[in-house]
Amino acid sequence: MQRVLPIVLILLLLPIHASILSKVAEGNKLLPKGEGTSYVLPSPILKIMSLEFDGIASDYTFLKALVFFGSTFERKERPRVKEWEWRWFYNILNASTHLDPYFLDPYYVAQAHLTWEGNMVRETNALLEKGSRYRDWDWVLPFYLGFNSFYFLLEDAKASEYLMEASKRPDASPILASLATRLAYKGKKTENAVIFLQEILSGTDDENTKKMYETRLNALKAILFLERAATAYQERFKRPPEKLEDMTAKNVIREIPKDPYGGKFYIDKDGSIKTTSELR
Amino acid sequence: MTVLWPIAVITFKEGIRNRAIYGISIFALLLLGANLLISSMIMQEVGKVAVDMALSTISFTGLLLVLFVGINLMAKDLDKKTIYMVLSRPISRPQYIIGKFLGIVLLILTTISILSIFAVISIFMVKLSYPGYFPRFSWPLILLSISFITISLILLSALTFLFASFSSTSFITLVLTIISYIIGQSIMDVKALVEAPQAAGIKVSPVTVKVVQAAYYVFPNLSIFDIKTQAAHGLPITLSYIFWAVSYGVVYTALAIIVASVIFRRREFP
Amino acid sequence: MIKIEGISKEFKEGIGSKRVMALKDLTLDIHKGEVFGFLGPNGAGKSTAIKILINLISPDAGRASIMGKDVMDKDTRRHVGYLPENPYFYDYLTAEELLWFGGRASGLSNKVIKERTDDLLNKVNLQVARKRQLRTYSKGMVQRAGIALALVHDPDVVILDEPMSGLDPIGRKMVGDIMMELKAQSKTIFFSSHILTDIERFCDRVGIIVSGKLRLVDRLDSLLSGAAALENIFLKEVEKAGGGVEI
Repeated sequence: MQRVLPIVLILLLLPIHASILSKVAEGNKLLPKGEGTSYVLPSPILKIMSLEFDGIASDYTFLKALVFFGSTFERKERPRVKEWEWRWFYNILNASTHLDPYFLDPYYVAQAHLTWEGNMVRETNALLEKGSRYRDWDWVLPFYLGFNSFYFLLEDAKASEYLMEASKRPDASPILASLATRLAYKGKKTENAVIFLQEILSGTDDENTKKMYETRLNALKAILFLERAATAYQERFKRPPEKLEDMTAKNVIREIPKDPYGGKFYIDKDGSIKTTSELR
Repeated sequence: MTVLWPIAVITFKEGIRNRAIYGISIFALLLLGANLLISSMIMQEVGKVAVDMALSTISFTGLLLVLFVGINLMAKDLDKKTIYMVLSRPISRPQYIIGKFLGIVLLILTTISILSIFAVISIFMVKLSYPGYFPRFSWPLILLSISFITISLILLSALTFLFASFSSTSFITLVLTIISYIIGQSIMDVKALVEAPQAAGIKVSPVTVKVVQAAYYVFPNLSIFDIKTQAAHGLPITLSYIFWAVSYGVVYTALAIIVASVIFRRREFP
Repeated sequence: MIKIEGISKEFKEGIGSKRVMALKDLTLDIHKGEVFGFLGPNGAGKSTAIKILINLISPDAGRASIMGKDVMDKDTRRHVGYLPENPYFYDYLTAEELLWFGGRASGLSNKVIKERTDDLLNKVNLQVARKRQLRTYSKGMVQRAGIALALVHDPDVVILDEPMSGLDPIGRKMVGDIMMELKAQSKTIFFSSHILTDIERFCDRVGIIVSGKLRLVDRLDSLLSGAAALENIFLKEVEKAGGGVEI
């Protein structure tokens, strides 16, 4: 009896343990996660606290950011990521790059997500500036900076500067210099953006990020297609189309392409092609 | 010299056969194994993360070794009176300290060498699995970083001798060593912070600045030996920096051991 | 051979700065080839006196020398073998390694150490256990290993602090035989004990110490010729000193 009792107890307690654990884990997920606070410890303090382990602390904070971001894809609500969460995401990437300013991945993730979805282009550029300063051998970061300045901030001169800087760095893609000059042509925004994105895509091997950029590229190609169609329409009928359906009705195009983000393309008041999804 | 060697040998044997060392080694192997796992989560700089993991593991394991095996070797001599078997020989107190220290240096060198082999294997395996993600990678820098880690561990254990020479229990030595380690790793950053507080938007009193500046000279600047970031990114280290860092380590270690010997000379073992 | 001149030692007990006089003006002279028994109740100051001889503690007043050299000089210990009370050695060393250390530290060559080790481990009956780590030893085995360590460099002066404690009857006989052998080699032996029969069996001379003060030093045969047993003399001295100490 005395020998059997502990075994029975253990066998009894094991499933109880497992079920309690799943309950607690569930509850733990629902714990308020500092709702509305994007506060991350100031980077100098983090740096001091991580002692000699700032490299690995940088890896850790970055992975934390990544795990959080990945978890948002399970969410049903829209917008998927809340405003303060974007701020937190930015702060933690910033902390990670403060701990190890040479670490490429945080910059890479910031560029991939903070700009398009997070609407934090200025902040991303500040981050990339830091990275570009430290990783002075790396052409990718000034290239990102150039893209952001051009596409989001509409600062073509600044963008050209960044691209020229990028083109001077070792192993830079030969397309950069010509791209820098192309930016001078107004009205080629979408086309240039497509070239940019193709260039970014060619340097991306991570499957998920690649997919993200491909979707983006497809959307931009669709917009470019519609823009070109609108120009053709203008030439043929001497007036711009009022809505996209005009172009299918007049057989300028066979059909309106689908927005890969699930939105609908439309013609804005100023005549530019937009989508209801805002590419997010 | 003839009496230093036997002390070093028995200290080393006592240390290397300690069970704690098995625990520490298993821990280190687990961390290095985790290297393969974590590296697979990184998209771009796999090499950097792999090197980070390997070097941090060596550093942390070495720290555990100094704190729990090194201090214990010295403390047990005093607590359990095993020091009698040494001091009843024609051995002076400074010789005892130096011999014992050599033994612990030997222990650190051996452990770090073994760990380094495993660390190199783990980096090598990651490199084999993701060959495209090691753009700026340098074995010499990694080895240099490991050597620097070793120097800082030796320096730290010299400090444990200093503390053990006057403290009555090993616990006090342990606490003092941990405090010195934390101060030593952060004092450079703290000094920079309090001397230019406006950069971080904080206010610092002049007294604090003086205290920090004093601590800067008293405590070992262990962050000097932390070139893990440079090793991880393959950033060059100048020869003159290596020279000055090694010199700093040697001088500080010598100072700590000499002061420990002086204090120890007056100590009684009732 | 061993000269102790007017040694006093005071210990502070804890933080309360309560002072305890461990030795009061101790003077002793031990001649070459003599077996001197240092007798006293627990806490009388026997170990303190011995530790001063090994320079583990330093006296507040007075001086001590062995073979004409001050005990502060480390070289005195080249010719001194010391067995601490309740000896404790490195857990993870073997008896062989322990003796290797003792020999090397005293300047012996490996060859001599090997011969001495074989001989001594035979004598203390640890030949079988010589490659086992000391942490696996029983208390008596550690004590015997300690005796071997004290004798490994063939010292002229042997100082043993309670050599019989923790030994079973066979062990006691073993140590007794070793002491007789040392005596036959006309080594100087200074040993402390609170066990009267040991003192009676081996000693040429006896010193009785109570509460840090030397009460009596005399040749054993002249002490015993007074027809009183050593036990009675000892108890009388303890009583005179006003210490109600149990034996």
